[in-house]
This record gives sequence, C-alpha cells and structure tokens, in this order.
Amino acid sequence: MSSPGVMTLRDVHKTYNGRGVPVEALRGVDLEIGAGSFTCLIGPSGHGKSTLLHLLGGLDRPTAGSVTVLGEQVGRMTDVELARFRATRVGFVFQFFNLLKGLTVAENVELAMMYAGTPVRQQKTRVHDLLEAVGLAEKRRARANELSGGQMQRVAIARALANNPDVLLLDEPTGNLDSASEAEVMAILDDLHAQGRTIVMVTHSSEIAARAERIVEVRDGRIAS
Amino acid sequence: MNDFKLVIRNLLGSRSRFALTLVGITLGITSLVVMMSLGTGLRAQIDKQAADLGANLVVTPKGWCAYEQVKVLSGSQLPDAIPAEELTAIESVEGISVLPYLTVGSAVDNEPVPVTGIRVAETAETKRWAVASGEAPAEDSRGILAGSAIADSFDLAPGDHLTLRGTEFVVTGVLEATGTGDDGVLFIPLAVAQEVYETDGRISFAAVQVEDITQVELYAQRIADAANVAVVSDRQLLASVLSVVNTVSTTLRIIAAVAVLTAAFGIINTMLMATFERRREIGIMKSIGSSNARIFRTFMAEAAAYGVIGGVVGLVVGSVASRLITPYIAQNEFTAFVGGARVQAVPPLGDMALILGGAVVVATLAGVYPAMRAARLTPVEAISYE
Repeated sequence: MSSPGVMTLRDVHKTYNGRGVPVEALRGVDLEIGAGSFTCLIGPSGHGKSTLLHLLGGLDRPTAGSVTVLGEQVGRMTDVELARFRATRVGFVFQFFNLLKGLTVAENVELAMMYAGTPVRQQKTRVHDLLEAVGLAEKRRARANELSGGQMQRVAIARALANNPDVLLLDEPTGNLDSASEAEVMAILDDLHAQGRTIVMVTHSSEIAARAERIVEVRDGRIAS
Repeated sequence: MNDFKLVIRNLLGSRSRFALTLVGITLGITSLVVMMSLGTGLRAQIDKQAADLGANLVVTPKGWCAYEQVKVLSGSQLPDAIPAEELTAIESVEGISVLPYLTVGSAVDNEPVPVTGIRVAETAETKRWAVASGEAPAEDSRGILAGSAIADSFDLAPGDHLTLRGTEFVVTGVLEATGTGDDGVLFIPLAVAQEVYETDGRISFAAVQVEDITQVELYAQRIADAANVAVVSDRQLLASVLSVVNTVSTTLRIIAAVAVLTAAFGIINTMLMATFERRREIGIMKSIGSSNARIFRTFMAEAAAYGVIGGVVGLVVGSVASRLITPYIAQNEFTAFVGGARVQAVPPLGDMALILGGAVVVATLAGVYPAMRAARLTPVEAISYE
C-alpha cells in the first residue's frame, strides 16, 4: 500500500552538454511517487528513465524544476548534503552491479556503512544479517569478481540496504541476469516491497514491470503515461 | 571497513602498478640516502682525520693544490718532493717538533696497499697509537706496523712476512683501530722506506707541532723562511679540503634531488592513471555516499602511503647500499675517507627523519592534482564510464 508524497518532481528539466550540443534528457517532468509503492519506469532507451532515477537518488541535480525526496530538495543540497543523502536515505542498484572488485563481498557492503558513519563493530553485525537475508553469508570473504552475476546483484542489493534506506532505486537490476538469477532478485525485491520499502525500478521487461503496482512510461524526456 | 583499510585495499588492488611506483620512490630515496651518506661520511672523516693528524702546521712542497692536500689527510700516495736538506732546515727552527711522512705504495696479494714511512716512536706517541698485538718496529729494522683494517683484510699477524718493492719485511705489530685512515696503512720506519724506495732522503710532507699554539702564524713564517716549502695551518688545510668536499657534496645532493623529483613525477603519473582507471570505482563510491572531500582524502592518503612505504624501504635499502658500496667507491682520495677508515657511512638519525618526512611531503604533494581530479568527477559521469 502506498501513501502520497515520498518523492515529488515538479516541471523537472535536465539538459546535458553533449560535446557542445545541449541534449535535453528531461523536458518538464511532473511525477509523484507514494511511500511504500513499487513503481516501474519503462520506455525506450535514451528517453530519460535513468536520468530520472539519478535525480531521485541525488546522483545528479535538475537543470530546472524541483525534485523533492523524503522532504528534501535534491537540487538545493550541497555536495556534502547530497553525499549524506545518498548514504542514508536512498539505496542504488545498477544493471552492471557496480561492486568494487578489489574488495570482498562483506567489505563492499561495509563500505556503504562506513560512508554513513556506522562504527566498525556495528558494520560487522549488520553485514552478516544482510548477507544472510540475500543468501550469501557463506560468500562473505569471496572477492566480488569471483561471484556469478546473480550473486553479484544480490550483494549489490545487500549494499543498497546497508544503511536501511527508505527508498530503493534500481536501474535495470535484472538486465544482465539469466532467468534463474532474475527470479531470485525479483523474489528479494518482492519481499522488500512487502516490508514497506519504496521501490522505483527502471526496466525494459514488460514481464517484470507487470509485478509493479504502478508503471510510468518515460518517452522523449516526458511522462507519457 | 575503515579508511585505512580502504587505502591499503586500493593500493594492493593493482599490485604491479603499486610495486613499480614503489620501486621509483624507493630508488629516489635510496640514492638520496647513499649520496647523503657519502657526503656526511666524507665530512665527518675529514674532520676526524684532521684532528688526528697531530699537527698544528702541515709542510708541503710549494705549489700543491687542494687535491694534493686532500691526500695528506687521506694517507694516499704522494710524490717524495721535499728534499732531505729542506727537512733539516725545517727541523732547525726552534720551538717545533716535526713528523716527516713518506707516502709510497706497494702491493699485497696483487692488491695495491698504501705504505707510509714514519719515525715510528715519535709518530706513535704523537698520535697516541696503541699496539693491539706484537710491537712497533725499531727505527732501522725492516719491520711493519700494520693498521687494524689492513691487517684484517690481509689476515696479517706479527711474524708474517711481506715483500715490499722486492724487499722482505716482517710484521712486528698490529695497531688497535683508530677510526681514521691510519687503519688502512702499513707503516714502516722512515729511514728504511727512503732506502727501499730510493727517495734519496726525500719525504712527501711533514706534520709540525708548535710549542706555543698562540704563535702558529709566526712559526709558519719561520719555517717558510728557513726552507723552500709551503706551510699551511691545520685549519687552513681543513678549510681548503672541505671547500672541495662541499662542492662534491652539493653535486651529490643535486643528483639525489633529481632522483627524488623523478620519483615524485612517477607518483603523479601513477595517481593520474589510477584516477582514470578507477573512474567507475569513484562513481560507485560517490553513489553509495562518499563525499568529494572523502574521495580527495582517500587519494591523498594513497599518495602519502607511497611516500611512507617508499621512504622507509628507501632508508633501509639506502643504508644497506651505503655500507655495501662504500668499499668499492673508496678508490679515490675523496671517497677513501669514507671507506678507508670504515666509517659508518649512514646519515645521522636526524637526517633520516628529515628524508622520511621529505618523502612523505613530496609524495603527498604529488597526489594533490590527481586527488583533485578524482574528487571533481560527478557521480553520473564517473559511473557511466566504461
């Protein structure tokens, strides 16, 4: 069940400077996402889905308009405030996992907690619980690059949940997985949604989108439906 | 996870890059230590040698340059340039005692060795030598008093026979270590040396002690008036030698500084490469909550770590290298001071601390630009990098 107001975008524009030529990625987006909702962003490649997700997660600032997430104006935050926001309020999961290859599974999860200022002892306890929850407790000492794609994505989810964020943002998390791994990841996401977590996910799969409560189509930098 | 652990993990993430950069800074610091060791050892030994010369004045042939004056202090072979009659004239000056030296050379086991003819009893008393084994040779005997280092090198003991310039000599005694160039010399009686080396009574130089130290200049003038020789005070001699040594020392330090600077550019290059190669990693760290300042600090810490590790390894390798290579470079009059007397050719602790501190500062400064580049990357730009 969702309630209104956890994420609000008002007339949001985002323009990139593509080799001297301005590229409008978003053109006046208005969107409201309720707390505890499971929303899928769909649409053709290059039409602004990921840009929208980046703005919601504080990875980028809007060129114009306002992005309010959990009561905070993303566009007005300083770099330090944005870093703190990314560390504690939202969790990111990417298509290509984005784990640090030189670190172990446990260290990848601990790193997110370190940036949130969690004491080392608490990191150890929590990382055990998180890896247990995604079924990878026995892999805690393995290097990230020793895992399969599905395992890496589960580690990425554990890392995204490390600081118990209110919002989980996922950019095609199953786009690089086989069907068995996709099913594992989606089962975890269904559980998280059932626990009341707000989830926003970019996907190209209509099958996966069908599991969401709400589907938002982004086309030509605008909300099409 | 903590910042320290992250830095170590990052450094070891690319072991070959880490090792090669470390080799660069280690070589820079090693060369600095070796160069400074030589400079420091050289000066210290010259000071000691001058103090142990046992002279207030040194009488040399006219026209000697600083290079030859260095030889007086190092105990190297010098021409027999002061005739017997000049020595007699010098000794006629009242209020002084004269120690004549004839520095010649020979070979033992096909290795060149310095041999010095001296008035054994007078010299031993003036220099306060102690005989470790055996006894000093009589003034007219073909006996040898061996310095401790050369006795060790050739395993010499009283009773051993050596042939110098076709004449058989007997080692009568071995000196206790003095910590000066005397340790590396075979001493024989002056009269015998003049006979065997056919110098016709000539000597190389003479060390002079004066009765009244406040009148050194006056005695110098009297000697110069009595004989056709040059007279320098021990202080003048020291200043003259040190001026040459300082030039050598400065050159050595400049060479070492260039080596360290090269290493610093190595760090800049490595860190810039790391910034480029790790763009995506930087993006990931930012996406999970790292601030720009923290990325900057992480990269700076990595650069500083190169300085700390390279500095420590460089100090150790440099100290060992100094000890190992000193005997091989002690082949000329300047470096003979360091090797000949077996000086501990390692910079003092204060200098070592300065070198280590300098290595860390240079490495950290080298990290500033790459760290700024890394911190300035936007998360989206960095994370989108393939």
